[in-house]
Amino acid sequence: MIVVIDYGMGNLASVQKVIKSLKKEVKITCDKKEIQKASLIVLPGVGSFEQGMKNLNDLGLVDLLYQEVIQNKKPFLGICLGMQLIMEKGSEPNECNGLGWIKGRVVPIVNSRLPVPHLGWNNTYKHKEENQGDTLLNNFYFIHSFHVLPEEAVECTYVDYEFRMVASIEKENIFATQFHPEKSQNAGLLLLKNYIESYA
Amino acid sequence: MLKVRLIPVMTFNGVSLVKTKQFTNARTVGNPIQVARVYNSRNVDELVFVDIKATEQGRKINLPLVKKVIDECFMPVTIGGGIRTFEDINDLLGIGADKVLIKSKALQNPEFIVKAVEYFGSQCISIAVDVIVKDREYLIHQKNDEKVLMKTFIEKMHQCNVGEFVVNSVVCDGMMNGFDKILYQNVSQITTKPIVAVGGAGVPSHFTELVQTNYNGALAASSIYHFTQYTPQEVKKNIE
Repeated sequence: MIVVIDYGMGNLASVQKVIKSLKKEVKITCDKKEIQKASLIVLPGVGSFEQGMKNLNDLGLVDLLYQEVIQNKKPFLGICLGMQLIMEKGSEPNECNGLGWIKGRVVPIVNSRLPVPHLGWNNTYKHKEENQGDTLLNNFYFIHSFHVLPEEAVECTYVDYEFRMVASIEKENIFATQFHPEKSQNAGLLLLKNYIESYA
Repeated sequence: MLKVRLIPVMTFNGVSLVKTKQFTNARTVGNPIQVARVYNSRNVDELVFVDIKATEQGRKINLPLVKKVIDECFMPVTIGGGIRTFEDINDLLGIGADKVLIKSKALQNPEFIVKAVEYFGSQCISIAVDVIVKDREYLIHQKNDEKVLMKTFIEKMHQCNVGEFVVNSVVCDGMMNGFDKILYQNVSQITTKPIVAVGGAGVPSHFTELVQTNYNGALAASSIYHFTQYTPQEVKKNIE
Protein backbone atom coordinates (compact mmCIF):
# COMPACT_ATOMS: atom_id res chain seq x y z
CA MET A 1 0.00 0.00 0.00
CA ILE A 2 1.15 3.51 -0.82
CA VAL A 3 0.76 6.16 1.87
CA VAL A 4 0.37 9.86 1.05
CA ILE A 5 1.20 11.82 4.17
CA ASP A 6 -1.57 14.11 5.33
CA TYR A 7 0.04 17.01 7.18
CA GLY A 8 -2.25 19.85 6.19
CA MET A 9 -0.08 21.21 3.37
CA GLY A 10 -2.03 21.53 0.18
CA ASN A 11 -3.40 19.44 -2.59
CA LEU A 12 -3.28 15.74 -1.74
CA ALA A 13 -6.26 14.79 -3.87
CA SER A 14 -4.38 15.04 -7.17
CA VAL A 15 -1.57 12.77 -6.02
CA GLN A 16 -4.11 10.26 -4.82
CA LYS A 17 -5.96 10.48 -8.14
CA VAL A 18 -2.85 9.62 -10.14
CA ILE A 19 -1.93 6.68 -7.93
CA LYS A 20 -5.48 5.38 -8.18
CA SER A 21 -5.37 5.69 -11.96
CA LEU A 22 -2.37 3.32 -11.84
CA LYS A 23 -4.61 0.82 -10.04
CA LYS A 24 -2.57 0.92 -6.86
CA GLU A 25 -3.92 0.95 -3.35
CA VAL A 26 -3.38 4.36 -1.74
CA LYS A 27 -4.24 5.91 1.59
CA ILE A 28 -4.05 9.57 2.64
CA THR A 29 -3.17 9.49 6.32
CA CYS A 30 -1.03 10.77 9.18
CA ASP A 31 -1.48 7.59 11.21
CA LYS A 32 1.89 6.23 12.35
CA LYS A 33 0.91 2.57 12.09
CA GLU A 34 -0.28 3.04 8.50
CA ILE A 35 2.96 4.82 7.61
CA GLN A 36 4.97 1.95 9.10
CA LYS A 37 3.01 -0.54 7.02
CA ALA A 38 3.41 1.39 3.75
CA SER A 39 5.46 0.04 0.86
CA LEU A 40 6.09 3.58 -0.42
CA ILE A 41 5.80 6.91 1.36
CA VAL A 42 4.75 10.00 -0.61
CA LEU A 43 5.22 13.47 0.85
CA PRO A 44 3.59 16.09 -1.38
CA GLY A 45 2.89 19.65 -0.29
CA VAL A 46 2.35 23.26 -1.17
CA GLY A 47 3.08 26.12 1.20
CA SER A 48 5.79 27.45 3.44
CA PHE A 49 8.76 25.41 4.66
CA GLU A 50 8.44 26.52 8.28
CA GLN A 51 4.74 25.65 8.44
CA GLY A 52 5.41 22.28 6.81
CA MET A 53 8.06 21.38 9.42
CA LYS A 54 5.83 22.64 12.22
CA ASN A 55 2.99 20.41 11.05
CA LEU A 56 5.26 17.35 10.76
CA ASN A 57 6.59 18.05 14.25
CA ASP A 58 3.12 18.56 15.71
CA LEU A 59 2.01 15.22 14.26
CA GLY A 60 5.12 13.57 15.70
CA LEU A 61 6.16 12.35 12.26
CA VAL A 62 9.74 13.65 12.05
CA ASP A 63 11.36 10.76 13.98
CA LEU A 64 9.05 8.19 12.44
CA LEU A 65 9.93 9.31 8.90
CA TYR A 66 13.64 9.21 9.78
CA GLN A 67 13.23 5.68 11.05
CA GLU A 68 11.28 4.49 8.01
CA VAL A 69 13.14 6.30 5.23
CA ILE A 70 16.71 6.57 6.49
CA GLN A 71 17.05 3.55 8.78
CA ASN A 72 14.66 1.09 7.11
CA LYS A 73 15.38 2.43 3.60
CA LYS A 74 11.73 2.52 2.62
CA PRO A 75 11.11 4.09 -0.82
CA PHE A 76 10.25 7.77 -0.46
CA LEU A 77 8.83 10.20 -3.01
CA GLY A 78 8.85 13.92 -2.18
CA ILE A 79 7.00 16.43 -4.34
CA CYS A 80 7.55 20.22 -4.34
CA LEU A 81 7.55 21.21 -0.63
CA GLY A 82 8.05 17.50 0.07
CA MET A 83 11.39 17.75 -1.75
CA GLN A 84 12.43 20.94 0.01
CA LEU A 85 11.68 19.53 3.48
CA ILE A 86 14.26 16.73 3.15
CA MET A 87 17.07 19.30 3.09
CA GLU A 88 18.90 20.47 6.22
CA LYS A 89 17.73 24.07 6.32
CA GLY A 90 14.93 26.19 4.92
CA SER A 91 14.34 29.93 4.95
CA GLU A 92 10.64 30.39 4.22
CA PRO A 93 9.70 32.70 5.83
CA ASN A 94 12.31 32.31 8.61
CA GLU A 95 15.46 30.22 8.88
CA CYS A 96 14.56 26.77 10.25
CA ASN A 97 15.68 23.16 10.24
CA GLY A 98 14.34 20.62 7.77
CA LEU A 99 14.32 16.83 7.90
CA GLY A 100 18.01 16.96 7.05
CA TRP A 101 18.24 13.77 4.99
CA ILE A 102 20.26 15.52 2.33
CA LYS A 103 22.95 18.09 3.02
CA GLY A 104 22.06 21.52 1.71
CA ARG A 105 19.69 24.44 1.93
CA VAL A 106 16.50 25.82 0.44
CA VAL A 107 16.83 29.42 -0.75
CA PRO A 108 14.59 31.97 -2.49
CA ILE A 109 14.67 32.27 -6.27
CA VAL A 110 16.27 35.63 -6.93
CA ASN A 111 15.72 36.76 -10.46
CA SER A 112 15.85 40.36 -11.51
CA ARG A 113 14.30 39.96 -14.92
CA LEU A 114 11.75 37.16 -14.67
CA PRO A 115 8.73 36.83 -12.42
CA VAL A 116 8.82 34.78 -9.22
CA PRO A 117 7.25 32.23 -8.64
CA HIS A 118 8.73 30.12 -11.40
CA LEU A 119 5.32 29.08 -12.68
CA GLY A 120 4.52 27.03 -15.74
CA TRP A 121 5.94 24.31 -17.97
CA ASN A 122 9.66 23.88 -18.35
CA ASN A 123 12.07 21.23 -19.62
CA THR A 124 14.31 19.33 -17.27
CA TYR A 125 17.67 17.88 -18.24
CA LYS A 126 20.32 15.68 -16.73
CA HIS A 127 23.62 16.99 -17.95
CA LYS A 128 25.04 20.38 -18.67
CA GLU A 129 23.32 20.91 -21.96
CA GLU A 130 19.60 20.96 -22.38
CA ASN A 131 18.32 17.62 -23.59
CA GLN A 132 17.54 17.91 -27.27
CA GLY A 133 15.76 14.58 -27.33
CA ASP A 134 12.13 13.90 -26.71
CA THR A 135 11.02 17.12 -25.05
CA LEU A 136 7.55 15.74 -24.41
CA LEU A 137 8.94 13.39 -21.81
CA ASN A 138 10.75 15.96 -19.72
CA ASN A 139 8.30 18.84 -19.87
CA PHE A 140 6.95 19.36 -16.35
CA TYR A 141 4.75 21.78 -14.44
CA PHE A 142 6.55 23.92 -11.86
CA ILE A 143 5.27 26.35 -9.28
CA HIS A 144 7.73 27.47 -6.61
CA SER A 145 9.46 30.54 -5.20
CA PHE A 146 12.28 28.67 -3.43
CA HIS A 147 14.78 26.14 -4.73
CA VAL A 148 17.17 23.62 -3.22
CA LEU A 149 20.97 23.77 -3.18
CA PRO A 150 22.30 20.29 -2.38
CA GLU A 151 25.77 20.25 -0.81
CA GLU A 152 26.52 16.59 -1.32
CA ALA A 153 26.87 14.39 -4.36
CA VAL A 154 23.35 13.32 -5.34
CA GLU A 155 21.87 12.42 -8.70
CA CYS A 156 20.06 15.52 -9.98
CA THR A 157 18.13 16.78 -12.95
CA TYR A 158 18.03 20.49 -13.64
CA VAL A 159 15.81 23.22 -15.03
CA ASP A 160 16.78 26.62 -16.46
CA TYR A 161 15.15 29.88 -15.40
CA GLU A 162 17.84 32.43 -16.24
CA PHE A 163 20.02 30.28 -14.00
CA ARG A 164 20.16 26.57 -13.29
CA MET A 165 17.98 25.11 -10.54
CA VAL A 166 17.62 21.56 -9.27
CA ALA A 167 14.48 19.91 -10.66
CA SER A 168 14.82 16.50 -9.01
CA ILE A 169 17.06 14.64 -6.60
CA GLU A 170 17.78 10.96 -6.29
CA LYS A 171 19.72 9.35 -3.47
CA GLU A 172 19.39 5.66 -2.68
CA ASN A 173 15.73 5.10 -1.73
CA ILE A 174 14.85 8.79 -1.89
CA PHE A 175 13.44 10.42 -5.01
CA ALA A 176 12.13 13.95 -4.95
CA THR A 177 10.91 16.45 -7.53
CA GLN A 178 10.54 20.21 -7.42
CA PHE A 179 7.99 20.00 -10.24
CA HIS A 180 4.54 18.44 -9.93
CA PRO A 181 4.51 15.15 -11.85
CA GLU A 182 0.89 14.65 -10.79
CA LYS A 183 -0.03 17.76 -12.81
CA SER A 184 2.32 17.29 -15.71
CA GLN A 185 0.08 15.39 -18.07
CA ASN A 186 1.62 12.50 -20.00
CA ALA A 187 5.20 13.23 -18.98
CA GLY A 188 4.33 13.28 -15.30
CA LEU A 189 2.05 10.27 -15.46
CA LEU A 190 4.76 8.25 -17.18
CA LEU A 191 7.34 9.25 -14.60
CA LEU A 192 5.05 8.33 -11.72
CA LYS A 193 4.02 5.09 -13.40
CA ASN A 194 7.61 3.99 -13.88
CA TYR A 195 8.58 4.99 -10.38
CA ILE A 196 5.61 3.57 -8.56
CA GLU A 197 5.56 0.31 -10.49
CA SER A 198 9.16 -0.31 -9.59
CA TYR A 199 8.43 0.00 -5.88
CA ALA A 200 4.83 -0.70 -4.99
CA MET B 1 12.96 28.52 -20.20
CA LEU B 2 9.27 28.56 -19.42
CA LYS B 3 6.91 27.85 -22.27
CA VAL B 4 3.79 29.78 -23.13
CA ARG B 5 0.85 28.29 -21.25
CA LEU B 6 -2.23 27.46 -23.32
CA ILE B 7 -5.41 27.29 -21.28
CA PRO B 8 -8.90 26.37 -22.45
CA VAL B 9 -11.65 28.13 -20.48
CA MET B 10 -14.92 26.39 -19.69
CA THR B 11 -17.85 28.61 -18.72
CA PHE B 12 -20.75 26.90 -16.99
CA ASN B 13 -24.23 28.25 -16.20
CA GLY B 14 -25.24 25.74 -13.56
CA VAL B 15 -26.71 23.33 -16.09
CA SER B 16 -24.38 22.99 -19.04
CA LEU B 17 -21.32 24.53 -20.61
CA VAL B 18 -22.09 27.78 -22.42
CA LYS B 19 -20.19 30.26 -24.51
CA THR B 20 -21.09 33.93 -24.39
CA LYS B 21 -20.51 36.82 -26.78
CA GLN B 22 -19.53 40.01 -24.97
CA PHE B 23 -20.84 38.37 -21.78
CA THR B 24 -24.37 37.89 -23.15
CA ASN B 25 -26.14 35.51 -25.57
CA ALA B 26 -24.98 32.36 -23.82
CA ARG B 27 -25.03 29.46 -26.22
CA THR B 28 -24.94 25.87 -24.98
CA VAL B 29 -21.79 24.04 -26.03
CA GLY B 30 -21.90 20.74 -24.18
CA ASN B 31 -21.33 18.64 -21.14
CA PRO B 32 -18.49 19.80 -18.87
CA ILE B 33 -17.19 16.34 -17.98
CA GLN B 34 -16.93 15.22 -21.59
CA VAL B 35 -15.28 18.47 -22.62
CA ALA B 36 -12.78 18.25 -19.75
CA ARG B 37 -11.93 14.71 -20.84
CA VAL B 38 -11.23 15.88 -24.38
CA TYR B 39 -9.01 18.74 -23.18
CA ASN B 40 -7.10 16.36 -20.94
CA SER B 41 -6.52 13.98 -23.83
CA ARG B 42 -5.22 16.93 -25.87
CA ASN B 43 -2.53 17.46 -23.24
CA VAL B 44 -3.44 21.11 -22.50
CA ASP B 45 -1.28 23.02 -20.02
CA GLU B 46 -4.01 24.05 -17.59
CA LEU B 47 -7.76 24.34 -17.41
CA VAL B 48 -10.05 27.09 -16.13
CA PHE B 49 -13.63 26.28 -15.16
CA VAL B 50 -16.00 29.08 -14.14
CA ASP B 51 -19.62 28.97 -13.06
CA ILE B 52 -20.55 32.36 -14.49
CA LYS B 53 -24.02 32.40 -12.92
CA ALA B 54 -23.24 31.31 -9.35
CA THR B 55 -22.72 34.77 -7.86
CA GLU B 56 -25.61 36.32 -9.79
CA GLN B 57 -28.00 33.55 -8.73
CA GLY B 58 -26.68 33.59 -5.17
CA ARG B 59 -25.81 29.91 -5.10
CA LYS B 60 -22.74 27.84 -4.37
CA ILE B 61 -20.83 26.06 -7.08
CA ASN B 62 -21.91 22.45 -7.70
CA LEU B 63 -19.10 20.60 -5.90
CA PRO B 64 -19.90 17.01 -6.98
CA LEU B 65 -19.96 18.11 -10.62
CA VAL B 66 -16.78 20.16 -10.30
CA LYS B 67 -15.08 17.19 -8.68
CA LYS B 68 -15.98 15.06 -11.71
CA VAL B 69 -14.48 17.71 -13.99
CA ILE B 70 -11.27 17.86 -11.91
CA ASP B 71 -11.04 14.06 -11.82
CA GLU B 72 -10.70 14.08 -15.61
CA CYS B 73 -7.68 16.38 -15.47
CA PHE B 74 -4.01 15.56 -14.99
CA MET B 75 -2.95 19.18 -15.19
CA PRO B 76 -3.50 22.23 -12.97
CA VAL B 77 -7.12 23.33 -12.71
CA THR B 78 -8.51 26.72 -11.71
CA ILE B 79 -12.11 26.89 -10.48
CA GLY B 80 -14.23 30.02 -10.13
CA GLY B 81 -17.78 31.12 -9.45
CA GLY B 82 -19.67 32.15 -6.33
CA ILE B 83 -16.67 32.05 -3.97
CA ARG B 84 -17.49 34.07 -0.84
CA THR B 85 -15.98 32.32 2.16
CA PHE B 86 -12.88 30.45 3.32
CA GLU B 87 -15.06 27.38 3.42
CA ASP B 88 -15.79 27.77 -0.31
CA ILE B 89 -12.06 27.93 -1.07
CA ASN B 90 -11.30 25.04 1.24
CA ASP B 91 -14.01 22.89 -0.38
CA LEU B 92 -12.60 23.49 -3.85
CA LEU B 93 -8.97 22.85 -2.86
CA GLY B 94 -10.17 19.75 -1.00
CA ILE B 95 -11.61 18.17 -4.16
CA GLY B 96 -8.38 18.81 -6.04
CA ALA B 97 -8.57 22.35 -7.45
CA ASP B 98 -5.15 23.97 -7.68
CA LYS B 99 -6.31 27.57 -7.81
CA VAL B 100 -9.54 29.41 -7.17
CA LEU B 101 -10.68 32.34 -9.28
CA ILE B 102 -12.32 35.19 -7.38
CA LYS B 103 -13.92 38.39 -8.66
CA SER B 104 -16.95 39.81 -6.82
CA LYS B 105 -15.61 39.14 -3.34
CA ALA B 106 -12.30 40.77 -4.26
CA LEU B 107 -14.09 43.91 -5.43
CA GLN B 108 -16.31 44.09 -2.34
CA ASN B 109 -13.78 43.12 0.27
CA PRO B 110 -10.03 43.23 -0.52
CA GLU B 111 -9.32 42.35 3.12
CA PHE B 112 -10.81 38.91 2.40
CA ILE B 113 -8.19 38.41 -0.31
CA VAL B 114 -5.34 39.46 2.02
CA LYS B 115 -6.47 36.84 4.52
CA ALA B 116 -7.06 34.17 1.88
CA VAL B 117 -3.53 34.68 0.53
CA GLU B 118 -2.08 34.39 4.03
CA TYR B 119 -4.08 31.30 4.84
CA PHE B 120 -4.03 29.34 1.57
CA GLY B 121 -0.88 30.72 -0.06
CA SER B 122 -0.69 33.17 -2.92
CA GLN B 123 -0.14 30.45 -5.52
CA CYS B 124 -3.76 29.34 -5.30
CA ILE B 125 -5.55 32.70 -5.29
CA SER B 126 -6.29 33.99 -8.81
CA ILE B 127 -8.21 37.15 -9.50
CA ALA B 128 -10.65 37.54 -12.39
CA VAL B 129 -10.41 40.94 -14.06
CA ASP B 130 -13.28 41.44 -16.52
CA VAL B 131 -12.55 44.59 -18.45
CA ILE B 132 -14.76 47.01 -20.39
CA VAL B 133 -13.76 50.16 -22.25
CA LYS B 134 -15.60 53.39 -21.49
CA ASP B 135 -14.50 56.90 -22.51
CA ARG B 136 -11.12 55.51 -23.53
CA GLU B 137 -10.53 54.05 -20.06
CA TYR B 138 -10.26 50.43 -18.96
CA LEU B 139 -12.86 49.76 -16.27
CA ILE B 140 -13.99 46.69 -14.36
CA HIS B 141 -17.18 45.12 -15.70
CA GLN B 142 -19.80 45.03 -12.94
CA LYS B 143 -23.49 44.33 -12.66
CA ASN B 144 -24.01 47.63 -10.85
CA ASP B 145 -22.61 50.61 -12.70
CA GLU B 146 -20.06 51.56 -10.09
CA LYS B 147 -16.94 52.88 -11.79
CA VAL B 148 -13.77 51.03 -10.84
CA LEU B 149 -10.63 51.65 -12.85
CA MET B 150 -8.90 48.47 -13.93
CA LYS B 151 -5.57 49.98 -12.91
CA THR B 152 -6.77 50.71 -9.37
CA PHE B 153 -8.19 47.23 -8.93
CA ILE B 154 -5.12 45.40 -10.23
CA GLU B 155 -2.78 47.57 -8.15
CA LYS B 156 -4.80 46.82 -5.04
CA MET B 157 -4.82 43.09 -5.73
CA HIS B 158 -1.11 43.16 -6.53
CA GLN B 159 -0.52 44.60 -3.05
CA CYS B 160 -2.60 41.77 -1.61
CA ASN B 161 0.04 39.48 -3.19
CA VAL B 162 -2.39 37.37 -5.23
CA GLY B 163 -0.96 34.61 -7.40
CA GLU B 164 -2.30 35.47 -10.82
CA PHE B 165 -4.63 37.69 -12.84
CA VAL B 166 -7.06 36.28 -15.40
CA VAL B 167 -7.80 39.28 -17.59
CA ASN B 168 -10.87 38.96 -19.80
CA SER B 169 -11.87 41.58 -22.35
CA VAL B 170 -15.67 41.84 -22.40
CA VAL B 171 -15.64 43.60 -25.79
CA CYS B 172 -13.59 40.81 -27.37
CA ASP B 173 -15.35 37.93 -25.56
CA GLY B 174 -16.66 35.38 -28.07
CA MET B 175 -16.06 37.66 -31.07
CA MET B 176 -13.08 35.64 -32.33
CA ASN B 177 -11.47 38.73 -33.87
CA GLY B 178 -8.24 38.62 -31.87
CA PHE B 179 -7.01 39.69 -28.43
CA ASP B 180 -6.99 43.30 -27.22
CA LYS B 181 -3.20 43.66 -27.42
CA ILE B 182 -3.12 47.13 -25.88
CA LEU B 183 -5.04 45.88 -22.85
CA TYR B 184 -2.37 43.28 -22.05
CA GLN B 185 0.46 45.75 -22.58
CA ASN B 186 -1.31 47.95 -20.06
CA VAL B 187 -1.77 45.15 -17.54
CA SER B 188 1.89 44.08 -17.90
CA GLN B 189 2.91 47.58 -16.88
CA ILE B 190 0.69 47.55 -13.79
CA THR B 191 1.70 44.20 -12.32
CA THR B 192 4.63 41.78 -12.49
CA LYS B 193 2.41 38.87 -11.40
CA PRO B 194 1.55 36.16 -13.92
CA ILE B 195 -1.25 37.16 -16.31
CA VAL B 196 -3.70 35.01 -18.25
CA ALA B 197 -5.17 36.70 -21.33
CA VAL B 198 -8.71 35.69 -22.34
CA GLY B 199 -11.11 37.00 -24.94
CA GLY B 200 -10.99 37.19 -28.69
CA ALA B 201 -8.98 34.27 -30.03
CA GLY B 202 -10.51 32.87 -33.22
CA VAL B 203 -7.57 31.54 -35.23
CA PRO B 204 -4.05 30.39 -34.21
CA SER B 205 -2.44 33.56 -35.54
CA HIS B 206 -4.29 35.62 -32.90
CA PHE B 207 -2.20 33.92 -30.20
CA THR B 208 1.01 34.49 -32.13
CA GLU B 209 0.18 38.17 -32.62
CA LEU B 210 -0.20 38.65 -28.86
CA VAL B 211 3.05 36.80 -28.10
CA GLN B 212 4.84 39.02 -30.62
CA THR B 213 3.98 42.12 -28.58
CA ASN B 214 6.43 40.78 -25.94
CA TYR B 215 3.51 39.67 -23.82
CA ASN B 216 4.82 36.85 -21.64
CA GLY B 217 1.69 35.68 -19.87
CA ALA B 218 -0.55 32.73 -20.54
CA LEU B 219 -2.99 32.44 -23.44
CA ALA B 220 -6.52 31.33 -22.71
CA ALA B 221 -9.44 30.85 -25.05
CA SER B 222 -12.77 29.21 -25.39
CA SER B 223 -14.67 29.80 -28.66
CA ILE B 224 -11.81 28.70 -30.89
CA TYR B 225 -11.83 25.29 -29.23
CA HIS B 226 -15.62 24.97 -29.18
CA PHE B 227 -16.47 26.29 -32.64
CA THR B 228 -13.50 25.73 -34.96
CA GLN B 229 -11.41 22.84 -36.14
CA TYR B 230 -8.34 24.15 -34.29
CA THR B 231 -7.12 22.17 -31.29
CA PRO B 232 -4.83 23.42 -28.50
CA GLN B 233 -2.05 21.30 -30.03
CA GLU B 234 -2.30 23.09 -33.36
CA VAL B 235 -2.31 26.47 -31.66
CA LYS B 236 0.78 25.50 -29.68
CA LYS B 237 2.59 24.30 -32.78
CA ASN B 238 1.80 27.61 -34.41
CA ILE B 239 3.28 29.60 -31.52
CA GLU B 240 6.46 27.54 -31.36
